[in-house]
Amino acid sequence: MLPLRQLQLDFSRALFDEMPTGLEDCVRGDALNAERRLAIYRNNVFSNLREALRAAYPVIERLVGTEFFDYAADRFIRRQASLSGDIEDYGMQFATFLAQFPAANALAYLPDTARLEWACHQVFYAAEHAPPALEKLAATPAEHFGQLRFQMHPASALLASDYPVHRIREVNQPEFEGDHGVDLSQGGVTLLVRRHHFQVEVEPLGAGEFAMLEALAAAHTVAEAFAQATQADPAFDLQLFLQRHLVAATLVDVSGDPPCH
Amino acid sequence: MLHPANGGTHPAPARAGIGLRAPHYREVLSTRPAVGWLEVHSENFFGDGGQPLHYLEQVRAHYPLSLHGVGLSLGSTDELNREHLGKLKRLAEHIEPALVSEHLCWSSAGGRYLNDLLPLPYTEEALAVVSAHLRQAQDFLNRPILIENVSSYLQYSHSTIPEWEFVSQVAARSGCGILLDVNNIYVSAVNHGFDAEAYLESIPVAAVGEMHLAGFDSNGDCLIDTHGKPVSDAVWALYRHAVRRFGRVPTLIEWDTDIPPLAVLLEEAHKADAILQEENHAPTATAAA
Repeated sequence: MLPLRQLQLDFSRALFDEMPTGLEDCVRGDALNAERRLAIYRNNVFSNLREALRAAYPVIERLVGTEFFDYAADRFIRRQASLSGDIEDYGMQFATFLAQFPAANALAYLPDTARLEWACHQVFYAAEHAPPALEKLAATPAEHFGQLRFQMHPASALLASDYPVHRIREVNQPEFEGDHGVDLSQGGVTLLVRRHHFQVEVEPLGAGEFAMLEALAAAHTVAEAFAQATQADPAFDLQLFLQRHLVAATLVDVSGDPPCH
Repeated sequence: MLHPANGGTHPAPARAGIGLRAPHYREVLSTRPAVGWLEVHSENFFGDGGQPLHYLEQVRAHYPLSLHGVGLSLGSTDELNREHLGKLKRLAEHIEPALVSEHLCWSSAGGRYLNDLLPLPYTEEALAVVSAHLRQAQDFLNRPILIENVSSYLQYSHSTIPEWEFVSQVAARSGCGILLDVNNIYVSAVNHGFDAEAYLESIPVAAVGEMHLAGFDSNGDCLIDTHGKPVSDAVWALYRHAVRRFGRVPTLIEWDTDIPPLAVLLEEAHKADAILQEENHAPTATAAA
């Protein structure tokens, strides 16, 4: 007999790696032998994880078809361990996997499309947050404004891609009606993913706007972020940016070290 | 400790409830069907915010709720996952469910999750592991939980304890209640050739705080607990037997794959309610008289 720990490790290996272990000797095989009994569990485990991937990556499935998706999912599941008892946490590395998956080489935009879908998945479940305290902002003397730092709304994410992945996602929504064509030559995009009335929305941003948000998200001050934004877009308008993203609560908590006197 | 069926501040009524899944959130909120209570999978609401939690808060305003977990892996030799347990506690404190339950199984080994309800060998070692984890979980959550017997497709040759004794022993050693899944008993009884009624007869009446009913499939070799069909006639018959023994216990209709219209679930719940009425001749309090 195996100690319980060994039995559980062997069970996991038998399912994922299909390696012979000592487990078969511990399973009663009468009408149905041990391997076929284990195969029922292998089928259940793979099916659960595959369905979790399908739920998180519906656009990838539409792009490659169910048969290919299931094949890719099967390879991914063998390679990438699930590390949570909450199956909705599974699949973050699917984009990286697709980037290295030879069978998907022909579709160069697939990994970034998967990154966008995972960002949407996370934003869907992220925390609520109160709108920014505008009175605190209004009370900040103009000369200290550059030293402020903003926190992005927890239910938001930034994503840059060399492909128009927002358009790819848009035309592959089940309810989408209209021209399904996507012009891959239209070049890269910079995107904001956020939640509005519980629905996830993907919005293309200008280069300066994106650089500004990216820098603020990395905890840079307004002055530092502004420098990066104007580098990305010399015509970047900070006033307009703040109006837009404070009203939309893309930016929430504001903080700043008290000025030294 | 409180009786397992009354562990919450809002006890689940001794009636039939249904498992609430995403396709029915909106319809349940807009039509408010006459059903005793609702059960959800705890992990579906582990997120920090967003729509699922928003719906659950609204549902909670109108129905008693039960949180049914699938991922705590109480039977694993890994240490209990504190993050998972923390999210469950946060959710339970927020929602104030009538019942909190988990499965008598394991689902992780060496930190890798299999995300399925895997069978334990019924040994003294497994009994000690799962009972200790149940005590830790209940202490952490500061409330009793119910543990559910799972369907199984294999038996270990070194098991030394019959499943029904193992379930009863876990409850006795940890102070947890039992969520008796009548369909799972039937499925495992067919798969392993034991007597389902004898199983029921050996479960301590006072420990049972909830029952589950669901449908199964067959893969040709085994019955598989798919929760994708109506409750079978054989399981309804076994349920009648269970109600005669355990009295009026909150009973859930579970349906997780090929989810039908809400009306189908409600119809199944009404059948369970009718049996709870008809067979409730033996109040548990006077069973020994």
